[in-house]
Amino acid sequence: MVSAIDVGRLGVRYNLRLNRKNTIRESFKNMASWARGPQHFWALRDVSFQVDHGESLAVIGPNGAGKSTLLQVLAGILEPTEGGIAVNGRISSLLTLGAGFDPDLSGRDNILLAGEFMGLDYRLMRQRLPEIIEFADIGQFIDAPIKTYSSGMNARLGFSIATAVEPDVLLLDEVLSTGDATFRTKSQERVRDLMKTARAIVLVTHDMSWATDFCNHAILLEKGHIVAAGNPRAVVDIHVERSEQRRNGETPNPLPPIVDAGLARIGLAPASASG
Amino acid sequence: MLPFRGMSQTANAVRAEFRARPPGPFDTIATTVREVTLRRRLIAYLVRADLKKRGANTVLGNIWWILDPLLTMLVYVILVTIIVRSTREAYPLFIFAAILPWKWFSSTLNDAVTSIIGREKIIKQVKFPKIVLPLASVGGGLISFLFGLIPLSALLILFYSTHISPWLLLIPVIAAVQVVFTMGVSILASGLTVYFRDLGNVTGHALRIWFYLSPALYGTEQIESLATNHKELFTLYELNPFAGLFESYRDVIYYGQAPEWNLLVIVLAESIALLVAAVLVFRRLESSFAKVL
Repeated sequence: MVSAIDVGRLGVRYNLRLNRKNTIRESFKNMASWARGPQHFWALRDVSFQVDHGESLAVIGPNGAGKSTLLQVLAGILEPTEGGIAVNGRISSLLTLGAGFDPDLSGRDNILLAGEFMGLDYRLMRQRLPEIIEFADIGQFIDAPIKTYSSGMNARLGFSIATAVEPDVLLLDEVLSTGDATFRTKSQERVRDLMKTARAIVLVTHDMSWATDFCNHAILLEKGHIVAAGNPRAVVDIHVERSEQRRNGETPNPLPPIVDAGLARIGLAPASASG
Repeated sequence: MLPFRGMSQTANAVRAEFRARPPGPFDTIATTVREVTLRRRLIAYLVRADLKKRGANTVLGNIWWILDPLLTMLVYVILVTIIVRSTREAYPLFIFAAILPWKWFSSTLNDAVTSIIGREKIIKQVKFPKIVLPLASVGGGLISFLFGLIPLSALLILFYSTHISPWLLLIPVIAAVQVVFTMGVSILASGLTVYFRDLGNVTGHALRIWFYLSPALYGTEQIESLATNHKELFTLYELNPFAGLFESYRDVIYYGQAPEWNLLVIVLAESIALLVAAVLVFRRLESSFAKVL
């Protein structure tokens, strides 16, 4: 059977010389100092895992471990520098919510525009429009420009759009804490529903209870490498322990071999870690 | 199934095996054409959104598309007839035939330069072919050009009815050549700006120099008479796509005659070559947009 998500030896490299502050002057300076300093940074390297249909994977790890990069690669936003990924089915990603809105356009226009960006059928989008507006609960503001929205309204609308269409593969990045308490309950319910219908889920979270309560598997990322993988509770325990060590000023074993906590179940043999 | 179980090769050899090979130029062009046709609704939406915004943010709204070229023309008419004292007959029409397409080109390019960097957030959120963004700028520009045809018609009917000829019907043909050229420049500029932010500062000045170097306020015959002893210099001058475009527009609008077909075909060939090169470069750059932005 084909897995919903199959990731093999994935590596994503950032070029430190190319960044947003780049100007022509900087480029000349870079050329002059070409040989000096690190030129590349591997945000992810040698990451392999599989997610089968009907399963959900939690990705946990400290800040800067490459969790969001991993989701961006799975969503097709970033291309792998090396390695391969295969995602079977339609992907919906809930990355940074509502950040892509056009502030001068009305909420309604932004819903339709977002649908077009995601490549959804416009008839479907028009049909879902009332439902999206209803769920976002922003009342008559729907025809006002987005710039007049509060940040909560913005996030609610973003969540409502991203979850309006049932995806085959759902990617979630820290989205479960948007809005006020009422909306949070409502959105958690919807995520739970989606998790039931979606064929596979990858969830990036700092909320360990989500990892243990809703996911079949978990991987722990640190500095772009998988450090532990397998049963969510075991992986969360390892993560908590290592975070504790870091807080106490100790350095946990920098790159330990993959801790086997049911590796075979996500298609990873311990042997691949040493390769 | 990916072969990473129980392997005996070294990690680097395995990595090399997984490294993706870049597609050839023909594949790239074919994929791009396919993606753009698939996403034509997105382009239409972006254009419509842009028009809505521009219309809503100013008091006079979309009337500015008619006023803008007229006011620019007025500035140059004052400059040239009163200060330089040009004696050319129907001078306002003479320069309007060039200002209208130039406004279209320069506003499109100014728009395109920020089209990618202005959509930074959505690029980091959703996967879509980024080439639709500069193409939407081209589309928006085309619509404002169409609005610009209103003052042109008014000018012709009210003041210069003797210049009206059936050759005016060829404006869409010349405009089509300009669309190809504008697409090439816009795609290239939008992609390069991601890597070189100063491109935005440069374009304004580059456009101004380009405008004065092109036969907009003067005729090509003036350049030709200046370069009588250096025929090759004049040939070089004619390689500027806007020399050919302005002349063609002027032939059909001002002189009421057929455009120089050879010249127009050369401009078209230049434009197609540029467009193909621009698409290839853009596709190479595109894969790192989300990382660099």
